[in-house]
Amino acid sequence: MFEIELGDEGIVAVDGRLDAAQAVKAQGFLDQVEGQCVLDLTKLEYISSAGLGVLLKTHKRLMGSGNGIKLINVNHHIHDIFRYSGFDKLFEIVPASDK
Amino acid sequence: MKQKFKRSFDELRNIVAMTETIFREAGLQAELRHVVDLATEELFVNMVTYNTESDDDILIEMRSHEHGVEVSLTDYNVNRFDPTVAGQVDVDAPLDERAPGGLGLYLVLKMVDSIHYEYRNRQSKITFIVDRKV
Repeated sequence: MFEIELGDEGIVAVDGRLDAAQAVKAQGFLDQVEGQCVLDLTKLEYISSAGLGVLLKTHKRLMGSGNGIKLINVNHHIHDIFRYSGFDKLFEIVPASDK
Repeated sequence: MKQKFKRSFDELRNIVAMTETIFREAGLQAELRHVVDLATEELFVNMVTYNTESDDDILIEMRSHEHGVEVSLTDYNVNRFDPTVAGQVDVDAPLDERAPGGLGLYLVLKMVDSIHYEYRNRQSKITFIVDRKV
């Protein structure tokens, strides 16, 4: 199960497992986003390299216009993946406990 | 526990179900799930994506042991490709130089406790172990 939708205050909410089977759905949604993008990962249970690729591609596109992706409410499992991937140096990340 | 899967990303949900079953039945630490799920998906996706000369299903075997879980993926009728010697990814590179390619296998090698590759009779078998953290 994976859902992505525009929530309150323009924050994009992600829910479920962002794996290789769901990457196309996520990319299709994020390709429509313009300006600064805040992704709420409170309900993101899992992410693989396919999901990381979606975030990286979108972040690079938005950075081209001086914006980017901010990741909020990141649990420690997901944060570990970001850290191993070096994404903690590329994205602004707000851990779940620091909201 | 062993099960064959079609060469489709749609099978990922069934692979997750298999992993859930062995974790439940063996009483494995939930903390290990993320690494097992990630490594299994990345290796399965790699086989589906790059071993395009085969139509055979991919066999996944999972067994618990004293210290954690061992997972094997076997692909049939394929050329040799050893993911344990996959290229390095510069995770310190600036954004302009970053690309998603290769990140999956990099994460697998970084996060599992051991990994072993065998190639024989056009069968490619990769086995990894994720141990309990004590």
